[in-house]
Amino acid sequence: MKHWRDRLPAVVVNLLGLTALVLFLLAGGNGPGTVALVAAVWLGVLAAWLAGSCLLEKRRLKALLAQAEQLDERYLLAEILPPPATAEEAVYRRLMQMAEKSMLEQVGTAQRERREYREYIEQWIHEIKTPITAGKLLCENDRSPLSREMLAQLERITHYTEQALYYARSEHTEKDYLIREIRLADMVHGAIADNKYLLRQNRVEIMAEEMPGTICTDDKWVRFILDQLIGNAVKYRGPSPRLRFASEERPGQICLMVEDNGIGIPAADLPRVFEKGFTGQNGRAVHSSTGIGLYLCKRLCDKLGIGLEITSREGAGTAVRLIFTVNDYIAGAI
Amino acid sequence: MSYYKILIVEDDPVIREQLRLLLAGSGYQAQAVADVPAAIRQMESFGPHLVVLDIGLPGASGLELCAQIRSVSNAPVVFVTSSNNDLDELNSILLGGDAFITKPYNPAILLARIASLLRRAYPAAGEELLRWKGAVLHPESGKLEYQGRTVELTRNEQKILWYLFKHAGTICPRADLIDFLWDNQLYIDDNALSVHVSRIREKLNAIGLEGFIQTRHRQGYLI
Repeated sequence: MKHWRDRLPAVVVNLLGLTALVLFLLAGGNGPGTVALVAAVWLGVLAAWLAGSCLLEKRRLKALLAQAEQLDERYLLAEILPPPATAEEAVYRRLMQMAEKSMLEQVGTAQRERREYREYIEQWIHEIKTPITAGKLLCENDRSPLSREMLAQLERITHYTEQALYYARSEHTEKDYLIREIRLADMVHGAIADNKYLLRQNRVEIMAEEMPGTICTDDKWVRFILDQLIGNAVKYRGPSPRLRFASEERPGQICLMVEDNGIGIPAADLPRVFEKGFTGQNGRAVHSSTGIGLYLCKRLCDKLGIGLEITSREGAGTAVRLIFTVNDYIAGAI
Repeated sequence: MSYYKILIVEDDPVIREQLRLLLAGSGYQAQAVADVPAAIRQMESFGPHLVVLDIGLPGASGLELCAQIRSVSNAPVVFVTSSNNDLDELNSILLGGDAFITKPYNPAILLARIASLLRRAYPAAGEELLRWKGAVLHPESGKLEYQGRTVELTRNEQKILWYLFKHAGTICPRADLIDFLWDNQLYIDDNALSVHVSRIREKLNAIGLEGFIQTRHRQGYLI
């Protein structure tokens, strides 16, 4: 009972007063019976006040805590509190409101700065795409071993810029997608075409099996994911790299498998590959690891409702499965 | 080759010129302009079969231009943009755009899109046959005919022969041929190409076309 302790000074003052009164009454020649009665009444009233006020206080504070629990943004608490009961509470209330105001200002500034930075990054990425496109066209119009090497590097630059764009955007993807019916094969061949020079310069053998399925999803997000997976397969390639694309139909699902025969991921690192910034053992061996690619893939897949599974054996290769749910509505209509 | 006229509207000078060269190199008549007023003038005087349009033009947006183009012409419009957001894509479709490609695009994919839009918008009468030195390639049925004898080709063999026929009389560097095949979903390397070509040669020999494909050492193939 902490509330009881708050009342301690009042109780002590009361007891002192009672003692003084008892002494005064006894000195005035009152009988012990009368004095005991007066003292009993005093103590009774004191006890009743103590119990009653503690109980009320306890109930009130409990209600406040419950109210705060329900609030999503607790820093707005000062706004919803009941009117202050005492002068002291009124002062504390003003202090809380001052703290809240200054914090809201700080949060607002931070949010604005963050948004402006993100907008700048997005704008920058759109601008960098113009020179990349110009570079690609220049190389395409003057094909030579050098320009092919250059095109492979331009594809790498594209990977990194796209990664930055999707990183900047990944928190508000819900505003930015267009779901369409896409043939799985078109999407895979498109992704291979986008990485043509990178794959050829690194002598990656491509095995693209028949992929008859159709999926409903956002083309550019999935293309981005495939780009990152292809980029990883090239980055962590083995001595005679091979990349296989295959699809597998399961009841209610279409699964796209991207399998390489690269250096693989150690079993200890595997559970953590989707963590942001995690590079693991391979990251220490290959210096261009960022720990961002797979993290973004996972994040986008979660937002798009695509399953993402990864299996790997160290030294033997890695297989990534993208699992698309086939729309029941469409399947049910047939 | 082709008589199709293509108008490019693009504000970046390097892309404008290189895209024009790329299209000209692919057998189209291409003209390039930098802004909307020039584009509208060219729509009338040049009369293109297809327009490649950048959305982010200075002054007016490419989307507005598309609406204006639609009022005078039914030519397919290919949108090119560096901002890949879905609102632009949706608007471009609503305003009558036929394709939407984001920078940095793969030139081969752009060319393929253009070719397929042109085929759809201006259907040619009958199958385009490719002829060279008495041999006739039927690209759609996948047959090669020579002096009344025909041979069936696999899809991959067809792609290789199609490229050689298109560049008949010139030496086709192996790397260019492989580039073309990759763009057409045949992912082979140098060795595999040699294997494919020797198989094609066997088939050609069987119908009396001996020495049709010549190998130029360190340069490429020639028919």
